[in-house]
Amino acid sequence: MIEKHANLQNGKTMTCAEFQDKLPELFESGHELSNEQHLKTCETCAALVRDLEYIAQQAKLLLPLHDPSPAVWENIQSAIHNDGDHPAGKSNDTPIK
Amino acid sequence: MSTGQTHPKPVHQHMRRNPPIAGEAEAIARAQAGDPRSFEMLYSLHKRRVYSLCLRMLGNVAEAEDLTQEAFLQLYRKIGTFRGDSAFSTWLHRLSVNVVLMHLRKKGLPQVSLEETLEPSQDDGPRKDIGARDLTLSGSIDRVTLERAVENLPPGYRLVFILHDVEGYEHNEIADMLACSIGNSKSQLHKARMKLRELLRTGERKESAV
Repeated sequence: MIEKHANLQNGKTMTCAEFQDKLPELFESGHELSNEQHLKTCETCAALVRDLEYIAQQAKLLLPLHDPSPAVWENIQSAIHNDGDHPAGKSNDTPIK
Repeated sequence: MSTGQTHPKPVHQHMRRNPPIAGEAEAIARAQAGDPRSFEMLYSLHKRRVYSLCLRMLGNVAEAEDLTQEAFLQLYRKIGTFRGDSAFSTWLHRLSVNVVLMHLRKKGLPQVSLEETLEPSQDDGPRKDIGARDLTLSGSIDRVTLERAVENLPPGYRLVFILHDVEGYEHNEIADMLACSIGNSKSQLHKARMKLRELLRTGERKESAV
């Protein structure tokens, strides 16, 4: 079915497969995708682009998660204390609180 | 034919999530000299992001906390080697990513090998026949649904997606962190989004069938 969506872009016929091969680079190049001729005539690829843009937008909602429990810092302190000298070469016996 | 009624901002134009932090440079310098309070400050500033990365990659609180601990212990041991060639958060993230990958490899997940995971694969590539036009996402994907879908991504895809789309790192930074090419990072990100689309659409179809 791919070839059914073939259309013209810059005087050349572009199929869905060709458009989708270009898509990763188009996304990352800063290219304005809505200007792509192929999208004006191919609802399948237009839907794909809409979805991928939507997913990338929604991904921003995923931060932040919550903090680790206080036990993590306590364990780090303990391990550092057991390690002894600081790697910088300066001994520091002051516990980190 | 229109491409749709809404036009979200192009995906590359997202905000960076690691802007400069006031006092961080001084804290780094003091921590490098062995000041424990400054190291604690660095922990406070970065614990959430490191833990989030670990939790998203492992999906398990106990393991994520263990690896957060390990990442900061490595930071403590290696902070003297930080030269400021990249942002501190990027440097720390690279260190954390390595801790996560080492852990996943130890668990024996073959797909976690970066060389394999980040190698473009024809099998996992975008499908050219996207399907019928009614298979578009509804535009109502909430955070929980997306989190769940991200959990189901293969680890390599998940890592690049989290670093780029969630955390806002650029491909050159990700390539540096993962020791892969920029093209590889771009390719993996695209595959991750394609896979997420598939997972989210499958979820929508299941919901509508109930």
